[in-house]
Amino acid sequence: MPAVIVEKDRCKGCTLCVNICPENVLAMSKEINSKGYFFPFMQNPEACTGCRHCALICPDVAIQVEVKGKVNQKPSALTEKPFHYCPGCHHGIVHRLVAEAIDALGIGERAVGVAPVGCSVLAYDYFNVDMHEASHGRAPAVATGIKRGRPNLIVFTYQGDGDLASIGIAETIHAANRGEKITVIFINNAIYGMTGGQMAPTTLVGQVATTCPLGRDPNLAGYPIRVSELLKELKTPAYIARVAVYDAKNILQAKQAIKKAFDYQVKGICYSFVEVLSACPTGWGMNPPDASKWLKENMVPYYPLGEFKTPEKGVVKETER
Amino acid sequence: MAKKLMKGCEAIGEAAIKAGCRLFFGYPITPQNEIPEYMSARLPQVGGVYVQAESEVSASNMLYGAAGAGCRCFTSSSSPGISLMQEGISYIAGAELPVVFINIMRGGPGLGGILPSQSDYFQATKGGGHGDYRCLVLAPSTVQEAADLVQLAFDLADKYRNPVYVLGDGLIGQMMEPVEFKRTVNPEDLPEKTWASTGAKGRKPNIINSLYLDPEDLEKHNWKLKKKYEEMEKNEKRWEEFNIEENLDVLFVAYGTVARIAKTAIEDLRSKGVTAGLFRPITLYPFPGEALYSVAQKSKKVLVSELSTGQMIEDVRYHLGKDREVAFYGRVGGMVMTPEELVDEALKLLK
Repeated sequence: MPAVIVEKDRCKGCTLCVNICPENVLAMSKEINSKGYFFPFMQNPEACTGCRHCALICPDVAIQVEVKGKVNQKPSALTEKPFHYCPGCHHGIVHRLVAEAIDALGIGERAVGVAPVGCSVLAYDYFNVDMHEASHGRAPAVATGIKRGRPNLIVFTYQGDGDLASIGIAETIHAANRGEKITVIFINNAIYGMTGGQMAPTTLVGQVATTCPLGRDPNLAGYPIRVSELLKELKTPAYIARVAVYDAKNILQAKQAIKKAFDYQVKGICYSFVEVLSACPTGWGMNPPDASKWLKENMVPYYPLGEFKTPEKGVVKETER
Repeated sequence: MAKKLMKGCEAIGEAAIKAGCRLFFGYPITPQNEIPEYMSARLPQVGGVYVQAESEVSASNMLYGAAGAGCRCFTSSSSPGISLMQEGISYIAGAELPVVFINIMRGGPGLGGILPSQSDYFQATKGGGHGDYRCLVLAPSTVQEAADLVQLAFDLADKYRNPVYVLGDGLIGQMMEPVEFKRTVNPEDLPEKTWASTGAKGRKPNIINSLYLDPEDLEKHNWKLKKKYEEMEKNEKRWEEFNIEENLDVLFVAYGTVARIAKTAIEDLRSKGVTAGLFRPITLYPFPGEALYSVAQKSKKVLVSELSTGQMIEDVRYHLGKDREVAFYGRVGGMVMTPEELVDEALKLLK
């Protein structure tokens, strides 16, 4: 019988695992862990099919699933350090996917990450590879410097929306346009998380943030920037994709896209860019399952998912996405 | 190697290559465009890389990346461009990375003009960007010295893991003079930088970072940097004494282009029966204040001359003490004094 193994002291009680379980196997405990959070347990163990959705969605790498004696391994490209992200924040899921791609391609010994100012500025504590902290918005420039100096390294940036789409839009566009052989992971959660929930260039029309308390007004702030669509219009960059991580199917697609993005770099083919629609439950003022639901219902219609451009096909038609 | 007639900007570029540097990141700005132009042609010939950045802000961050990956790298710019690079320079200083910055200074503030100036002395020697840090600052006064100091700048940057400025002006950049490159460094012969982000093979990951959220850690880091700056102050002061003798009538204190003009003025004054000498700081930070103090004891008068309204003079006054009278003569906005103007100023002082 499959078993869900919860590393309870890593858990932040976000309940995403309970919510995603198709068989209602999990429930939240009545006790709290060392951090003061409730954590999940197998309330209904015999119903578990070993689908691993709970492990897939856990943003804190706190869940492993044993199926037929096999336990899914934590990626070696992540350190043991628990993430500092808020409960239910999707950063943790994306960190894991990036680390899994690094492991799958066997590039941990030549990967260098660049994490600029934003919630993920401390990513150097979590990725078990050489890392650069960078100033706000400049990660693509820093990555350019690393890659041009040492072309054998596999260089990736990990950036938020304020960073990439606002202060660093010039660096973003020009690194893409020069065709730097780097991989850009773009976390779009439609808000400034680290500074406490201000309006981002990707905040949706009508969405409330601390600097647009009545909701984003396009007459004052313009419409949210669709960065993937913007970049796909450039002739040089060849791999542009937008994914989401709010459910198992999307997480698996995101995993594929991120791995592909790295693989294009490993093969020296092109600049690669993956935008990940992510939830910021704290900044949005929602509980984690509601935040995931809000993302699906509000962000996905405005920010359609799929591969916008690949080196093989060029710009992908909307009907083929 | 034989002497070659070269423009200052090109000599600076070639000196960087001879120092084993194979990476240039920059953005065009007058009056130093000959440096990026030279690098764009020359670097590919030696297996190097020239990248024209989208802005100076970006260029300084590319340098942060390349230097963090353990590569010798440099840029050149002029005053407004150097202002834009301050973000990167502060991070480079914080993360302790070796990068060489050439500033061919032009008049400011704001867009100012494009003619020679020394008005970025404060910016270069006192910090420039945010935070508690120092950059080594070297100021050449001939094309040969520009070439020599660029090579030295790379060595000092590596030695101290610190940003180093070479501070010149349009005259040094545009002038042609004979140059000899005294040594050639092969980049492969440079010592390995074990702290750099070269891929974590057989070792723990290296982290290039200037973030310390714990105030105790940041305080420790700041004092560690301060200690390094004290080492630089102890070891790296450089200066030239020209025509210094026991009983001087006037001591000029000047650097870079102005020092050349002062030398001509000194010859002229000699023919008028005035004994004058020159103290020329070569490192502006660390400032050779003690040496200046002992030389100044030999002179009746001290005259500081700069292409600014008076910046280095603050360091001169600090080191000579408030009881010592220090005169000043400056030209600004791209105007450059003639030797005759300095002769007249000296004679006025001695009246």
